[in-house]
Amino acid sequence: MADNVDQQQTTNTVEEPLDLISLSLDERIYVKMRNDRELRGRLHAYDQHLNILGDVEETVTTIEIDENLNTAILPIFLYEEIYKSTKRNIPVLFVRGDGVVLVAPPLRVG
Amino acid sequence: MSLRKQTPSDFLKQIIGRPVVVKLNSGVDYRGVLACLDGYMNIALEQTEEYVNGQLKNKYGDAFIRGNNVCLFFFFPVLYISTQKRRM
Repeated sequence: MADNVDQQQTTNTVEEPLDLISLSLDERIYVKMRNDRELRGRLHAYDQHLNILGDVEETVTTIEIDENLNTAILPIFLYEEIYKSTKRNIPVLFVRGDGVVLVAPPLRVG
Repeated sequence: MSLRKQTPSDFLKQIIGRPVVVKLNSGVDYRGVLACLDGYMNIALEQTEEYVNGQLKNKYGDAFIRGNNVCLFFFFPVLYISTQKRRM
């Protein structure tokens, strides 16, 4: 019986993923969101819904499809995907948690 | 694996530290070592790589994935490779 109690206490000390986010408080982070949006900035606060507060630079990436009809002779329909991204800086941003996909330290592209 | 009492927490103890593949609803793949996991399926991974069709980005350190986006995750069974040469 005492062994069971001890086991339960040791399982409660396993950290949750949210506890590990608290290590990144006041640090720079990278947030990936729905609709191809990315945020880079400083994490001021967060909660269990992953609502996030911080000062950020947002990048929105859109893919436009440019239909090239010069090769109309060929029965192949060619198109070109153009990746466009727009950025904006926001001093204080509150992000609603249900749009958040992933949170990580900023990418170090080598 | 036989089912016993306390199987969920025991199972978590077994798979934490294993390399896993997490697939999101959006079709993006994340491969990394499972650091921890909670009841909402929020996942913390280490040394994560992101795959969309081809390899896109490398994330080192912790990556946290919000549980509602997770479609599935699976881990690889442990392979035992013998280091002794076979004698034919």
